[in-house]
Amino acid sequence: MSGCPFLGRKLFTSKPSQAEEEDESQKGINKATKGGIVYGEYLQLDKVLNAQVLQSQQKGDKIHDEHLFIVTHQAYELWFKQILWELDSVRDLFIKKHVRDERNMLKVVSRIHRITMIFKLLVEQFAVLETMTALDFFDFREYLSPASGFQSLQFRLLEAKIGVADHLRVPYNRRHYRDNFHGQESETLLSSEQEPTLLQLVEKWLERTPGLENDGFNFWGKLQANIEEGLKMEKHKLEKMEDSEVKEDLLAELNKQTEIFTALFDPKRHEHLLSKGELRLSYKALQGALMINFYREEPRFQVPFQLLTALMEIDTLMTKWRYNHVCMVHRMIGSKAGTGGSSGYHYLRSTVSDRYKVFVDLFNLTKFLVPRSWVPKLNPTHLAFQTDELCKNRYVSERRGIEEKQ
Amino acid sequence: MSGCPFLGRKHQLFTSKPSQAEEEDESQKGINKATKGGIVYGEYLQLDKVLNAQVLQSQQKGDKIHDEHLFIVTHQAYELWFKQILWELDSVRDLFIKKHVRDERNMLKVVSRIHRITMIFKLLVEQFAVLETMTALDFFDFREYLSPASGFQSLQFRLLEAKIGVADHLRVPYNRRHYRDNFHGQESETLLSSEQEPTLLQLVEKWLERTPGLENDGFNFWGKLQANIEEGLKMEKHKLEKMEDSEVKEDLLAELNKQTEIFTALFDPKRHEHLLSKGELRLSYKALQGALMINFYREEPRFQVPFQLLTALMEIDTLMTKWRYNHVCMVHRMIGSKAGTGGSSGYHYLRSTVSDRYKVFVDLFNLTKFLVPRSWVPKLNPSIHKFP
Repeated sequence: MSGCPFLGRKLFTSKPSQAEEEDESQKGINKATKGGIVYGEYLQLDKVLNAQVLQSQQKGDKIHDEHLFIVTHQAYELWFKQILWELDSVRDLFIKKHVRDERNMLKVVSRIHRITMIFKLLVEQFAVLETMTALDFFDFREYLSPASGFQSLQFRLLEAKIGVADHLRVPYNRRHYRDNFHGQESETLLSSEQEPTLLQLVEKWLERTPGLENDGFNFWGKLQANIEEGLKMEKHKLEKMEDSEVKEDLLAELNKQTEIFTALFDPKRHEHLLSKGELRLSYKALQGALMINFYREEPRFQVPFQLLTALMEIDTLMTKWRYNHVCMVHRMIGSKAGTGGSSGYHYLRSTVSDRYKVFVDLFNLTKFLVPRSWVPKLNPTHLAFQTDELCKNRYVSERRGIEEKQ
Repeated sequence: MSGCPFLGRKHQLFTSKPSQAEEEDESQKGINKATKGGIVYGEYLQLDKVLNAQVLQSQQKGDKIHDEHLFIVTHQAYELWFKQILWELDSVRDLFIKKHVRDERNMLKVVSRIHRITMIFKLLVEQFAVLETMTALDFFDFREYLSPASGFQSLQFRLLEAKIGVADHLRVPYNRRHYRDNFHGQESETLLSSEQEPTLLQLVEKWLERTPGLENDGFNFWGKLQANIEEGLKMEKHKLEKMEDSEVKEDLLAELNKQTEIFTALFDPKRHEHLLSKGELRLSYKALQGALMINFYREEPRFQVPFQLLTALMEIDTLMTKWRYNHVCMVHRMIGSKAGTGGSSGYHYLRSTVSDRYKVFVDLFNLTKFLVPRSWVPKLNPSIHKFP
């Protein structure tokens, strides 16, 4: 051997140097050895990780990709459970009237926002299942029948509790979705359709928007007056113009606008569309929503405005989820019928529709946008943070730091 | 009431009765097969198990904290996907172990599954954003009830590391010292096996050593490459020396010297052995040659999918280290510099694992040191790119 300093230390020569051993970051003990609940027990992994049984394997024809199919769906169901957890807690805050203490609004908005973050992940998740080819899916699909996502209880609970309207479901959906659930599951589904939905709770909350009171700020009366005045001025201005095609176009546009606003201030028309199912929010709730939009920068309305945005985000993400699902199914089974008995791709495609958009009225508020100057001016006392008797005691007598727990 | 056509249907609650067109819509045809017997969705996915595994410790202890549910579900989702990654990883290792990869038709399966693993890891990196909707304040409210449970006790995570090829002697001290203590009985056996069975790294190493074209008595890629590089460097040197003396010339000559040193080292087998024994290199000399060959000839049909495999393997390393770093960032926000529930130093410990020590296919990343102009790459003769 030469005198080369490198030779002679062949195995595991990266012994920790002194510096490494004294490194603060490497200090510590292993508390797990001292008793108490450990990771696997805490997460009940004995249950979660022993729930993957391949039907293809049961039937003597084990297909590798079926495992991915199972795990993907189980992950979706875990997240559905989480969404329901958040959704029920928010509904509860409304039902128990805790939202009348506006300090709870942060919690409401954070949880609704959390639901949207979960949905974003669920939309991304399709890309993982899409690594399966239609050919590989074909190899085990026969063993699944008649299991189908159409039988997912949590998905139906989700729809119902947010506020999807039964009479607006597409026919196949409306006709068959309840048949999948019996006994306890059927009870649970029925309850979810009878308890207040997020839509109904938000509707009532919107109706209570401060500033709507006819004998108070009277937002609606003032708005109507301002809009009528504004449209009249616009019309005079246009009529003074020299006759031309441009003038005709502008006048036609103004007429259209005038019709839209005439309809807006027609309560009977609103009731009619509501009964037809073309509108989902009550007239007063719509006024509240418009008010929150127009005055969103007032401190008292900032978080409520974030809530309305987050609610629309839920609708948007759910429909994106439905569409991503449709695209994947089309690639996997083309135009074949679904394992559950539906027409498959075509049925699913029909559910990518505004029928399933719960807060659709919030999206359509954009029809009624007006120039800032037409919005009734507030005076400083109108939207001060609440100091009414309901909450005065809370603010004054409760010590800061006592957070309201579930 | 006026003669308005709209009024008068108020009593009709569900006036959006399906029209004739709607009822005859093909897309709405079908039956509900679930009513006819056979396995249904909930049974197929054993949801009675999966959805009844969420027990809040805070609730058990009479102080139910809302956000603990998110904490539990997030970790359970991670573990489900770890199981899926292990399923794919084991199937690939199996193809190598059973020598099935010698039938090159199986390479598509290998690459697809390794790529699938990277897609899952991408999702797992995105998943942090969901848990990050929890505030440090809300975490503080239930953290005390968790101790000493810790991700450090995740068996599947260790199996993953071991089976890919993380080297035991390269783990940071706290990791190396304690990670086995968490597992007893069956779990301990499983972990031990995973460290003794061929790792993905070892299997890929053997596969690389078999790269067609390396044979000394055949194409002799390495011998030819060395000759070409020596020739190429010599020509470069002559060209530079002919230049007029200047600072630019000095810089270029210095650069050339550096390059020459790198290549001299590349063609020194003893030096490679030495670095291998120190743990600074992970692939054998012959495997390195195979990797370089696949890179240089990646457009040859026979090497296209092998090249995709090498890329996907590096992607696994990259995503795992991104996962570690995302985890670190979140933990820092949640607990600052506090110790972990499992007993480690917490953030500081985790930070130390964001390191090339844990990069299994690090040698593939470092191949870029040896890139040469295309003209220096030995010309192939047709027999190499013929499929068998």
